[in-house]
Amino acid sequence: MMADRMIQLRRFVLVLVAATTFSLSAAAQQARADTTEEFIAQLGDRALQVLVQGAQSEEQRAEAFRALLSDGFDLPLIGRYALGRFWRKATPAQRGEYVKLFEDFIVTTYAARLGEYSGETLQVVSSRAVDSDTIVVSEIVREGLQPIRVDWRVRNGDHGFKIVDVVVEGVSMLLTQRDEFASVIQRAGGDVEGLLDRLREKNDAQN
Amino acid sequence: MQLLSNARPARFAIAAGALFAVAACATPGSEPSQIADPLEPVNRYIFAANLAIDTTLIEPAATFYRDFVPDPARESVRNFLRNLETPILLANDVLQGDIDAAGVTGRRFFINSTIGILGLFDPAAEMGLARRDEDFGQTMGHYGVGPGFYIVLPILGPSSLRDAAGNFVDYYFDPLNYYADNTDRKYITVSRAVVRGIDARSRTIETLDEIERTSIDFYATIRSLYHQRRQSDIRNGTTPSLPKLDLTSDDADDRTAALKQ
Repeated sequence: MMADRMIQLRRFVLVLVAATTFSLSAAAQQARADTTEEFIAQLGDRALQVLVQGAQSEEQRAEAFRALLSDGFDLPLIGRYALGRFWRKATPAQRGEYVKLFEDFIVTTYAARLGEYSGETLQVVSSRAVDSDTIVVSEIVREGLQPIRVDWRVRNGDHGFKIVDVVVEGVSMLLTQRDEFASVIQRAGGDVEGLLDRLREKNDAQN
Repeated sequence: MQLLSNARPARFAIAAGALFAVAACATPGSEPSQIADPLEPVNRYIFAANLAIDTTLIEPAATFYRDFVPDPARESVRNFLRNLETPILLANDVLQGDIDAAGVTGRRFFINSTIGILGLFDPAAEMGLARRDEDFGQTMGHYGVGPGFYIVLPILGPSSLRDAAGNFVDYYFDPLNYYADNTDRKYITVSRAVVRGIDARSRTIETLDEIERTSIDFYATIRSLYHQRRQSDIRNGTTPSLPKLDLTSDDADDRTAALKQ
Protein backbone atom coordinates (compact mmCIF):
# COMPACT_ATOMS: atom_id res chain seq x y z
CA MET A 1 0.00 0.00 0.00
CA MET A 2 2.67 2.34 1.13
CA ALA A 3 4.78 1.59 -1.94
CA ASP A 4 1.82 2.27 -4.23
CA ARG A 5 1.29 5.66 -2.72
CA MET A 6 4.97 6.45 -3.00
CA ILE A 7 4.87 5.63 -6.69
CA GLN A 8 1.80 7.77 -7.15
CA LEU A 9 3.39 10.65 -5.33
CA ARG A 10 6.56 10.34 -7.36
CA ARG A 11 4.57 10.32 -10.55
CA PHE A 12 2.72 13.40 -9.42
CA VAL A 13 5.94 15.25 -8.64
CA LEU A 14 7.41 14.23 -11.98
CA VAL A 15 4.41 15.53 -13.87
CA LEU A 16 4.53 18.72 -11.89
CA VAL A 17 8.21 19.25 -12.57
CA ALA A 18 7.77 18.47 -16.25
CA ALA A 19 4.84 20.84 -16.53
CA THR A 20 6.69 23.66 -14.78
CA THR A 21 9.82 23.16 -16.82
CA PHE A 22 7.85 23.16 -20.02
CA SER A 23 5.89 26.30 -19.21
CA LEU A 24 9.07 27.98 -18.01
CA SER A 25 10.91 27.29 -21.24
CA ALA A 26 7.87 28.34 -23.25
CA ALA A 27 7.76 31.56 -21.25
CA ALA A 28 11.45 32.12 -21.78
CA GLN A 29 11.02 31.60 -25.50
CA GLN A 30 8.10 33.99 -25.53
CA ALA A 31 10.15 36.55 -23.61
CA ARG A 32 12.99 36.21 -26.09
CA ALA A 33 10.62 36.72 -28.99
CA ASP A 34 9.03 39.73 -27.30
CA THR A 35 12.32 41.45 -26.61
CA THR A 36 13.53 40.79 -30.15
CA GLU A 37 10.37 42.36 -31.53
CA GLU A 38 10.93 45.30 -29.21
CA PHE A 39 14.49 45.62 -30.46
CA ILE A 40 13.27 46.00 -34.06
CA ALA A 41 10.48 48.40 -33.08
CA GLN A 42 12.93 50.57 -31.15
CA LEU A 43 15.37 50.57 -34.03
CA GLY A 44 12.56 51.74 -36.30
CA ASP A 45 11.73 54.55 -33.89
CA ARG A 46 15.36 55.57 -33.74
CA ALA A 47 15.64 55.65 -37.53
CA LEU A 48 12.54 57.82 -37.63
CA GLN A 49 14.07 60.23 -35.12
CA VAL A 50 17.25 60.55 -37.14
CA LEU A 51 15.14 61.35 -40.18
CA VAL A 52 12.69 63.84 -38.73
CA GLN A 53 15.29 65.77 -36.75
CA GLY A 54 15.47 69.08 -38.54
CA ALA A 55 18.34 71.56 -38.41
CA GLN A 56 21.09 69.05 -38.98
CA SER A 57 23.60 68.93 -41.74
CA GLU A 58 23.86 66.15 -44.25
CA GLU A 59 27.01 65.03 -42.45
CA GLN A 60 25.39 64.93 -39.02
CA ARG A 61 22.59 62.85 -40.39
CA ALA A 62 25.02 60.45 -42.07
CA GLU A 63 26.96 60.16 -38.82
CA ALA A 64 23.80 59.42 -36.78
CA PHE A 65 22.82 56.89 -39.38
CA ARG A 66 26.20 55.23 -39.35
CA ALA A 67 25.94 54.86 -35.56
CA LEU A 68 22.46 53.40 -35.92
CA LEU A 69 23.67 50.88 -38.50
CA SER A 70 26.63 49.70 -36.46
CA ASP A 71 24.45 49.42 -33.36
CA GLY A 72 21.65 47.56 -35.06
CA PHE A 73 23.48 45.42 -37.62
CA ASP A 74 26.29 42.94 -37.28
CA LEU A 75 28.12 44.45 -40.23
CA PRO A 76 31.36 42.43 -39.87
CA LEU A 77 29.37 39.19 -39.85
CA ILE A 78 27.13 40.27 -42.73
CA GLY A 79 30.23 41.17 -44.70
CA ARG A 80 31.72 37.81 -43.91
CA TYR A 81 28.61 36.00 -45.20
CA ALA A 82 28.36 38.27 -48.22
CA LEU A 83 31.82 37.17 -49.31
CA GLY A 84 30.63 33.55 -49.07
CA ARG A 85 33.10 30.91 -50.14
CA PHE A 86 35.64 33.53 -51.20
CA TRP A 87 36.27 34.46 -47.58
CA ARG A 88 38.46 31.43 -47.28
CA LYS A 89 40.44 32.40 -50.36
CA ALA A 90 41.15 35.90 -49.11
CA THR A 91 44.40 36.65 -47.28
CA PRO A 92 44.14 38.07 -43.72
CA ALA A 93 45.11 41.51 -45.07
CA GLN A 94 42.43 41.30 -47.74
CA ARG A 95 39.87 40.25 -45.16
CA GLY A 96 40.71 43.20 -42.94
CA GLU A 97 40.41 45.66 -45.79
CA TYR A 98 37.28 44.01 -47.11
CA VAL A 99 35.43 44.33 -43.79
CA LYS A 100 36.20 48.08 -43.71
CA LEU A 101 35.24 48.60 -47.36
CA PHE A 102 32.06 46.62 -46.88
CA GLU A 103 30.94 48.74 -43.94
CA ASP A 104 31.49 51.95 -45.90
CA PHE A 105 29.72 50.46 -48.90
CA ILE A 106 26.67 49.47 -46.86
CA VAL A 107 26.43 52.80 -45.05
CA THR A 108 26.53 54.80 -48.30
CA THR A 109 24.14 52.38 -49.99
CA TYR A 110 21.57 52.57 -47.23
CA ALA A 111 22.04 56.30 -46.75
CA ALA A 112 20.99 56.69 -50.39
CA ARG A 113 18.00 54.47 -49.78
CA LEU A 114 17.04 56.65 -46.84
CA GLY A 115 16.53 59.60 -49.17
CA GLU A 116 13.43 57.88 -50.51
CA TYR A 117 11.79 57.80 -47.13
CA SER A 118 8.49 59.67 -47.02
CA GLY A 119 6.69 59.11 -43.76
CA GLU A 120 6.01 55.38 -43.70
CA THR A 121 5.81 53.62 -40.37
CA LEU A 122 7.24 50.29 -39.36
CA GLN A 123 4.88 47.89 -37.63
CA VAL A 124 6.09 44.71 -36.02
CA VAL A 125 3.68 41.87 -36.84
CA SER A 126 5.10 38.70 -35.33
CA SER A 127 8.27 36.72 -34.79
CA ARG A 128 9.50 33.16 -34.93
CA ALA A 129 12.68 31.21 -34.28
CA VAL A 130 14.83 29.88 -37.14
CA ASP A 131 17.97 27.97 -36.21
CA SER A 132 19.48 30.08 -33.45
CA ASP A 133 18.09 33.32 -34.89
CA THR A 134 14.78 35.10 -34.50
CA ILE A 135 12.88 36.32 -37.52
CA VAL A 136 10.87 39.44 -36.77
CA VAL A 137 8.13 40.00 -39.36
CA SER A 138 7.20 43.62 -39.90
CA GLU A 139 5.27 45.75 -42.33
CA ILE A 140 6.09 49.14 -43.72
CA VAL A 141 2.73 50.83 -43.87
CA ARG A 142 2.20 53.27 -46.73
CA GLU A 143 -0.65 55.67 -47.26
CA GLY A 144 -3.11 54.24 -49.79
CA LEU A 145 -0.76 51.46 -50.89
CA GLN A 146 -0.26 47.83 -49.96
CA PRO A 147 2.14 47.45 -47.03
CA ILE A 148 5.63 46.17 -47.77
CA ARG A 149 6.63 43.07 -45.85
CA VAL A 150 10.05 43.22 -44.24
CA ASP A 151 11.53 40.31 -42.27
CA TRP A 152 14.45 41.02 -39.95
CA ARG A 153 16.77 38.19 -39.09
CA VAL A 154 18.12 38.93 -35.62
CA ARG A 155 20.87 37.11 -33.80
CA ASN A 156 21.38 37.39 -30.06
CA GLY A 157 25.16 37.30 -29.76
CA ASP A 158 27.94 38.56 -27.52
CA HIS A 159 26.96 42.17 -28.16
CA GLY A 160 23.22 41.71 -27.69
CA PHE A 161 20.73 41.76 -30.54
CA LYS A 162 22.12 42.37 -34.00
CA ILE A 163 20.43 42.18 -37.38
CA VAL A 164 22.13 39.76 -39.77
CA ASP A 165 19.74 39.96 -42.74
CA VAL A 166 16.82 42.00 -44.03
CA VAL A 167 14.33 40.25 -46.31
CA VAL A 168 12.10 42.66 -48.27
CA GLU A 169 9.12 40.99 -49.98
CA GLY A 170 10.99 37.71 -50.13
CA VAL A 171 14.26 39.24 -51.33
CA SER A 172 17.21 38.84 -48.99
CA MET A 173 19.63 41.76 -48.95
CA LEU A 174 22.37 39.42 -47.82
CA LEU A 175 21.83 36.90 -50.64
CA THR A 176 21.64 39.70 -53.21
CA GLN A 177 24.92 41.10 -51.96
CA ARG A 178 26.53 37.68 -51.96
CA ASP A 179 25.42 36.95 -55.53
CA GLU A 180 26.67 40.33 -56.68
CA PHE A 181 30.06 39.98 -54.99
CA ALA A 182 30.48 36.41 -56.27
CA SER A 183 29.81 37.64 -59.80
CA VAL A 184 32.37 40.46 -59.50
CA ILE A 185 35.01 38.06 -58.18
CA GLN A 186 34.30 35.44 -60.84
CA ARG A 187 34.61 38.05 -63.56
CA ALA A 188 37.95 39.06 -62.09
CA GLY A 189 39.14 35.50 -62.61
CA GLY A 190 38.35 34.36 -59.06
CA ASP A 191 40.53 37.06 -57.51
CA VAL A 192 39.14 38.74 -54.37
CA GLU A 193 41.30 41.76 -55.25
CA GLY A 194 38.89 42.43 -58.14
CA LEU A 195 36.06 42.97 -55.66
CA LEU A 196 38.20 45.14 -53.38
CA ASP A 197 39.06 47.33 -56.39
CA ARG A 198 35.41 47.81 -57.30
CA LEU A 199 34.43 48.56 -53.69
CA ARG A 200 37.25 51.10 -53.36
CA GLU A 201 36.15 52.82 -56.57
CA LYS A 202 32.52 52.85 -55.49
CA ASN A 203 33.22 54.22 -52.02
CA ASP A 204 35.57 56.88 -53.36
CA ALA A 205 33.00 57.97 -55.91
CA GLN A 206 30.30 58.31 -53.29
CA ASN A 207 32.28 60.04 -50.57
CA MET B 1 -11.92 24.51 -82.95
CA GLN B 2 -12.74 27.81 -84.53
CA LEU B 3 -10.31 29.24 -82.04
CA LEU B 4 -7.40 27.34 -83.51
CA SER B 5 -6.28 29.34 -86.53
CA ASN B 6 -3.47 28.15 -88.82
CA ALA B 7 -0.72 30.02 -87.02
CA ARG B 8 -1.48 28.42 -83.71
CA PRO B 9 -0.17 24.85 -84.09
CA ALA B 10 3.33 26.12 -84.89
CA ARG B 11 3.39 28.37 -81.87
CA PHE B 12 1.98 25.65 -79.73
CA ALA B 13 4.74 23.30 -80.84
CA ILE B 14 7.33 25.86 -79.80
CA ALA B 15 5.67 26.26 -76.42
CA ALA B 16 5.48 22.51 -75.93
CA GLY B 17 9.11 22.13 -76.95
CA ALA B 18 10.18 24.79 -74.49
CA LEU B 19 8.18 23.04 -71.80
CA PHE B 20 9.95 19.77 -72.37
CA ALA B 21 13.28 21.55 -72.25
CA VAL B 22 12.32 23.07 -68.91
CA ALA B 23 11.14 19.76 -67.54
CA ALA B 24 14.42 18.19 -68.58
CA CYS B 25 16.41 20.77 -66.65
CA ALA B 26 14.13 20.70 -63.65
CA THR B 27 15.42 19.55 -60.32
CA PRO B 28 12.35 19.17 -58.15
CA GLY B 29 12.66 19.98 -54.49
CA SER B 30 15.97 21.77 -54.54
CA GLU B 31 16.08 25.52 -54.44
CA PRO B 32 19.56 26.78 -55.16
CA SER B 33 20.14 30.35 -54.04
CA GLN B 34 21.76 31.26 -57.34
CA ILE B 35 20.26 30.79 -60.78
CA ALA B 36 22.36 29.12 -63.47
CA ASP B 37 23.49 31.48 -66.20
CA PRO B 38 25.26 29.55 -68.98
CA LEU B 39 24.34 32.25 -71.51
CA GLU B 40 25.88 35.01 -69.41
CA PRO B 41 27.90 36.72 -72.17
CA VAL B 42 24.84 36.88 -74.46
CA ASN B 43 22.61 37.86 -71.55
CA ARG B 44 24.93 40.68 -70.53
CA TYR B 45 24.96 41.94 -74.09
CA ILE B 46 21.16 41.99 -74.30
CA PHE B 47 21.00 43.51 -70.82
CA ALA B 48 23.23 46.38 -71.95
CA ALA B 49 21.13 46.87 -75.09
CA ASN B 50 17.95 46.85 -73.00
CA LEU B 51 19.46 49.46 -70.70
CA ALA B 52 20.23 51.67 -73.68
CA ILE B 53 16.69 51.30 -74.99
CA ASP B 54 15.35 51.94 -71.52
CA THR B 55 17.37 55.11 -71.02
CA THR B 56 16.53 56.59 -74.40
CA LEU B 57 12.95 55.44 -74.79
CA ILE B 58 11.17 53.50 -72.07
CA GLU B 59 12.19 55.42 -68.96
CA PRO B 60 11.42 58.84 -70.50
CA ALA B 61 8.04 57.53 -71.66
CA ALA B 62 7.33 56.07 -68.23
CA THR B 63 8.39 59.30 -66.52
CA PHE B 64 6.19 61.34 -68.86
CA TYR B 65 3.28 58.98 -68.22
CA ARG B 66 3.74 59.24 -64.48
CA ASP B 67 4.19 63.01 -64.38
CA PHE B 68 1.51 64.07 -66.82
CA VAL B 69 -1.27 61.54 -66.41
CA PRO B 70 -3.20 62.11 -63.17
CA ASP B 71 -2.94 59.49 -60.44
CA PRO B 72 -6.58 58.27 -60.59
CA ALA B 73 -6.37 57.82 -64.36
CA ARG B 74 -3.20 55.73 -64.08
CA GLU B 75 -4.77 53.63 -61.34
CA SER B 76 -7.77 52.97 -63.57
CA VAL B 77 -5.60 52.01 -66.53
CA ARG B 78 -3.80 49.53 -64.32
CA ASN B 79 -6.99 48.19 -62.77
CA PHE B 80 -8.55 47.73 -66.20
CA LEU B 81 -5.54 45.82 -67.57
CA ARG B 82 -5.33 43.70 -64.46
CA ASN B 83 -9.00 42.84 -64.61
CA LEU B 84 -8.45 41.65 -68.19
CA GLU B 85 -5.78 39.26 -66.91
CA THR B 86 -8.35 37.37 -64.85
CA PRO B 87 -8.46 34.30 -67.13
CA ILE B 88 -4.70 33.79 -66.73
CA LEU B 89 -4.89 34.16 -62.95
CA LEU B 90 -7.91 31.91 -62.69
CA ALA B 91 -6.42 29.17 -64.87
CA ASN B 92 -3.22 29.13 -62.81
CA ASP B 93 -5.06 29.26 -59.47
CA VAL B 94 -6.99 26.18 -60.56
CA LEU B 95 -3.93 24.42 -62.00
CA GLN B 96 -2.16 24.90 -58.67
CA GLY B 97 -5.16 23.34 -56.96
CA ASP B 98 -5.75 26.53 -54.99
CA ILE B 99 -9.53 26.67 -54.99
CA ASP B 100 -9.63 29.45 -52.38
CA ALA B 101 -7.46 31.66 -54.56
CA ALA B 102 -9.59 30.80 -57.60
CA GLY B 103 -12.64 31.89 -55.60
CA VAL B 104 -11.00 35.20 -54.74
CA THR B 105 -9.97 35.75 -58.36
CA GLY B 106 -13.51 34.97 -59.55
CA ARG B 107 -15.18 37.23 -57.02
CA ARG B 108 -12.72 40.02 -57.75
CA PHE B 109 -13.58 39.80 -61.45
CA PHE B 110 -17.32 39.84 -60.75
CA ILE B 111 -17.16 42.77 -58.32
CA ASN B 112 -14.69 44.86 -60.29
CA SER B 113 -16.41 44.30 -63.64
CA THR B 114 -19.76 45.46 -62.22
CA ILE B 115 -19.40 47.83 -59.25
CA GLY B 116 -15.89 48.64 -60.45
CA ILE B 117 -17.25 49.69 -63.87
CA LEU B 118 -15.62 47.26 -66.33
CA GLY B 119 -12.59 46.93 -64.09
CA LEU B 120 -11.64 50.61 -64.01
CA PHE B 121 -11.78 50.52 -60.22
CA ASP B 122 -10.80 47.93 -57.66
CA PRO B 123 -13.52 47.95 -55.00
CA ALA B 124 -12.82 44.25 -54.35
CA ALA B 125 -9.47 45.09 -52.75
CA GLU B 126 -11.25 47.38 -50.31
CA MET B 127 -13.54 44.48 -49.43
CA GLY B 128 -10.48 42.49 -48.41
CA LEU B 129 -10.10 40.55 -51.67
CA ALA B 130 -6.49 41.30 -52.49
CA ARG B 131 -5.09 40.48 -55.91
CA ARG B 132 -2.42 37.83 -56.18
CA ASP B 133 -0.44 37.47 -59.38
CA GLU B 134 -0.18 34.03 -60.89
CA ASP B 135 1.30 32.81 -64.15
CA PHE B 136 2.20 29.48 -65.66
CA GLY B 137 5.86 29.91 -64.73
CA GLN B 138 4.74 30.01 -61.09
CA THR B 139 2.45 27.04 -61.63
CA MET B 140 5.39 25.00 -62.93
CA GLY B 141 7.46 26.22 -59.99
CA HIS B 142 4.67 25.19 -57.64
CA TYR B 143 5.05 21.62 -58.92
CA GLY B 144 8.79 21.64 -58.41
CA VAL B 145 10.03 22.70 -61.84
CA GLY B 146 13.23 24.71 -61.40
CA PRO B 147 13.95 27.88 -63.37
CA GLY B 148 16.29 26.05 -65.77
CA PHE B 149 18.58 28.98 -66.41
CA TYR B 150 18.53 32.75 -66.59
CA ILE B 151 17.53 34.47 -69.83
CA VAL B 152 17.48 38.18 -70.57
CA LEU B 153 14.83 38.77 -73.21
CA PRO B 154 15.18 41.69 -75.60
CA ILE B 155 13.13 44.62 -74.24
CA LEU B 156 11.12 42.35 -71.90
CA GLY B 157 14.11 41.86 -69.62
CA PRO B 158 14.89 39.20 -66.98
CA SER B 159 13.31 35.78 -67.36
CA SER B 160 14.21 32.13 -67.16
CA LEU B 161 13.71 29.12 -69.37
CA ARG B 162 10.75 28.10 -67.22
CA ASP B 163 9.20 31.54 -67.01
CA ALA B 164 9.62 32.32 -70.71
CA ALA B 165 7.93 28.99 -71.53
CA GLY B 166 5.26 29.91 -69.00
CA ASN B 167 4.57 33.14 -70.87
CA PHE B 168 3.88 31.13 -74.02
CA VAL B 169 1.38 28.98 -72.19
CA ASP B 170 -0.31 31.95 -70.51
CA TYR B 171 -0.91 33.38 -73.96
CA TYR B 172 -3.35 30.53 -74.59
CA PHE B 173 -5.21 31.11 -71.33
CA ASP B 174 -6.30 34.54 -72.45
CA PRO B 175 -9.40 34.72 -74.67
CA LEU B 176 -8.55 38.26 -75.70
CA ASN B 177 -5.51 36.91 -77.56
CA TYR B 178 -7.72 34.51 -79.52
CA TYR B 179 -10.09 37.32 -80.34
CA ALA B 180 -7.26 39.58 -81.50
CA ASP B 181 -5.70 36.79 -83.57
CA ASN B 182 -8.90 35.66 -85.19
CA THR B 183 -10.15 39.09 -86.12
CA ASP B 184 -6.78 40.35 -87.33
CA ARG B 185 -6.64 42.90 -84.55
CA LYS B 186 -3.08 42.28 -83.45
CA TYR B 187 -2.86 45.91 -82.36
CA ILE B 188 -5.03 45.04 -79.34
CA THR B 189 -2.48 42.70 -77.80
CA VAL B 190 0.45 44.88 -78.85
CA SER B 191 -0.95 48.10 -77.40
CA ARG B 192 -1.99 46.27 -74.27
CA ALA B 193 1.55 45.00 -73.79
CA VAL B 194 3.00 48.47 -74.42
CA VAL B 195 0.70 50.18 -71.92
CA ARG B 196 1.27 47.48 -69.35
CA GLY B 197 5.03 47.84 -69.80
CA ILE B 198 4.97 51.62 -69.48
CA ASP B 199 2.75 51.37 -66.42
CA ALA B 200 5.00 48.82 -64.74
CA ARG B 201 8.12 50.83 -65.55
CA SER B 202 6.55 54.05 -64.22
CA ARG B 203 6.30 52.44 -60.81
CA THR B 204 9.95 51.48 -60.51
CA ILE B 205 11.76 54.58 -61.79
CA GLU B 206 13.41 55.64 -58.52
CA THR B 207 13.92 52.11 -57.22
CA LEU B 208 15.70 50.91 -60.33
CA ASP B 209 17.80 54.08 -60.61
CA GLU B 210 18.87 53.61 -57.04
CA ILE B 211 19.75 49.95 -57.42
CA GLU B 212 21.86 50.84 -60.45
CA ARG B 213 23.59 53.65 -58.55
CA THR B 214 24.37 51.56 -55.49
CA SER B 215 25.49 48.33 -57.12
CA ILE B 216 28.91 47.37 -58.36
CA ASP B 217 27.55 44.75 -60.77
CA PHE B 218 24.08 45.87 -61.82
CA TYR B 219 23.54 42.82 -64.04
CA ALA B 220 24.32 40.37 -61.24
CA THR B 221 22.16 42.29 -58.78
CA ILE B 222 19.14 42.24 -61.10
CA ARG B 223 19.70 38.53 -61.80
CA SER B 224 19.69 37.78 -58.07
CA LEU B 225 16.66 39.99 -57.40
CA TYR B 226 14.74 38.38 -60.25
CA HIS B 227 15.44 34.87 -59.05
CA GLN B 228 14.64 35.57 -55.41
CA ARG B 229 11.47 37.43 -56.31
CA ARG B 230 10.22 34.58 -58.49
CA GLN B 231 10.96 32.02 -55.78
CA SER B 232 9.01 34.18 -53.35
CA ASP B 233 6.11 34.53 -55.80
CA ILE B 234 5.99 30.77 -56.28
CA ARG B 235 5.72 30.35 -52.52
CA ASN B 236 3.08 33.12 -52.59
CA GLY B 237 5.17 35.13 -50.18
CA THR B 238 4.95 32.60 -47.37
CA THR B 239 7.82 31.15 -45.36
CA PRO B 240 10.82 32.55 -47.20
CA SER B 241 13.55 29.98 -47.55
CA LEU B 242 16.34 31.06 -45.28
CA PRO B 243 19.92 30.18 -45.92
CA LYS B 244 21.62 28.47 -43.03
CA LEU B 245 23.77 31.23 -41.65
CA ASP B 246 26.56 29.63 -39.76
CA LEU B 247 30.22 29.51 -40.43
CA THR B 248 29.99 26.02 -41.92
CA SER B 249 27.41 26.84 -44.58
CA ASP B 250 29.87 27.51 -47.39
CA ASP B 251 32.13 24.56 -46.94
CA ALA B 252 33.60 22.40 -44.24
CA ASP B 253 36.87 24.31 -44.04
CA ASP B 254 35.12 27.55 -43.30
CA ARG B 255 34.88 27.11 -39.56
CA THR B 256 38.57 26.48 -39.19
CA ALA B 257 39.29 29.41 -41.46
CA ALA B 258 37.07 31.64 -39.34
CA LEU B 259 38.65 30.43 -36.11
CA LYS B 260 42.16 30.99 -37.39
CA GLN B 261 41.83 34.72 -37.89
